Amino acid sequence: MKTVSELTDFYYKTLYPSLKKLDEDRKKLKSRIIKIGVIYTIIFIIIAYLISSLSVELNGFIIFVYFVVGAIIYKLLIKDYTADFKQNIIKPLIYAIESTLRYESTSHVSSHLFNRSDLFSHPDRITGNDFVKGKLEDINIEFSDIHAEKRHKDSKGRESWSTIFQGLFIVAEFNKNFDGKTIILPDTAQSTFGNLIGGWLQSKNITRDELIKMDDVEFEKEFVVYGSDQIEARYILSPALMKKILTLQERSKHPIYISFIRNHIHIAIYYNKDLFEPSIFRSLLEYKVAMEYVNTLHLSLGIVKELKLNQKLWSKK
Amino acid sequence: MSTSLIIFIVIALVLVLMYNSLVAKKNQVKNIFAGVDTQLKKRYDLIPNLVATVSKYMDHEKSLLTEVTKLRADANKPNISDDQKIKLDAKITSALSGIMIAVENYPDLKANENVMHLQGTLNEVEEQISAARRAYNQAVTDYNNAIEMVPTNFMASAMNYTRKEVFEIPQTQRENVNVKELFN
Repeated sequence: MKTVSELTDFYYKTLYPSLKKLDEDRKKLKSRIIKIGVIYTIIFIIIAYLISSLSVELNGFIIFVYFVVGAIIYKLLIKDYTADFKQNIIKPLIYAIESTLRYESTSHVSSHLFNRSDLFSHPDRITGNDFVKGKLEDINIEFSDIHAEKRHKDSKGRESWSTIFQGLFIVAEFNKNFDGKTIILPDTAQSTFGNLIGGWLQSKNITRDELIKMDDVEFEKEFVVYGSDQIEARYILSPALMKKILTLQERSKHPIYISFIRNHIHIAIYYNKDLFEPSIFRSLLEYKVAMEYVNTLHLSLGIVKELKLNQKLWSKK
Repeated sequence: MSTSLIIFIVIALVLVLMYNSLVAKKNQVKNIFAGVDTQLKKRYDLIPNLVATVSKYMDHEKSLLTEVTKLRADANKPNISDDQKIKLDAKITSALSGIMIAVENYPDLKANENVMHLQGTLNEVEEQISAARRAYNQAVTDYNNAIEMVPTNFMASAMNYTRKEVFEIPQTQRENVNVKELFN
């Protein structure tokens, strides 16, 4: 697999013509958005003024409408640009890593897989985009952006949605066979309440299987492990794999959730935003912007190498 | 209700909880040792086959082979204690790794399909055993902590619970064996 610096080279050299053209589009789009935004705001203020002179109670509702309509207009304006960006930048970047991978900008990892991972409570709505699927070093892997939400209804029957998870969701074949379930979550209890009380709270988590205390101090500090089998959990989480997961956590700089179920590893990285989206108010040629695309892609496809998933156990070959 | 009765109930409740937690910890150790034992047996079962295959080639390492056979016979004796099993496991681990290193000196042997198969299986069992050992050590540590820490230590000594031994994890096993390198 290509390294981060090779990919950065590819981004700036091979993709330069497309980047240049897209950046022109971006500048035009930016000024259009600002113009339309100003006009929209002025018109809205006038309408709002007329309406609010009739009734005062509507104020909150008017602001809400302003943002919703504004968001819809914004989405419509950037739609073509986003599609161009994904087609001309993200897709070639993925193919540069491995030409046999499949990329679909509008689909996502199936909700079946998301629910199977058992990392989060079951969502009522799953959306997502930038779906990549294929084989890397003989390992099946797929990932995409996922936004999982839960529906709430208040006493008046009004609907609202809250986010369960938003970020990168990766599923890959694991290199060992196992029957049970092992789940690794960020350690919130122990870091909030300290070892004694936090540890006790963890062991009382009734929604999860048995608490499994791992023999790596660093790992125990960052994560909490639940599993259906004490021995199997340690069979999966060898001392080497624990170290590698810690490195992955360091690299991603975001909370990581991992589960091992049905001979697969499921990794959810909570970025709390939609990834692989084009920047509009910053140049695509900016180093920081470029590095975000390159790093995220390298991180998600790199787990095959990083976690040594390609070193299949002898009986799985 | 009088204060003394409340105090009595609270004390009784605490004692019951302490008692139950100690029993639970002891049983956890027992359960996990059963898991360790299963994995160890799997490895013992591989030994006769391994010895039979390699003995045809190995001339200088006969003593290693007889030792491993003897250790296996010891381990399969009925009524041996858990502590003895732990000690035998350490010896067998080092004897087997000695044989595996010796195999490297015989190119014919290394290329032998049967040996490769055995090596592969053995490696997988070793990984399972290593996981089982770590699980056991954790359970024993929890148990040992409980019988030595205040206040459960009073209850533990009344129940006649004593410290249990953990598995020594050899340094070579801590650095995860690179399976691929072994085969190339």
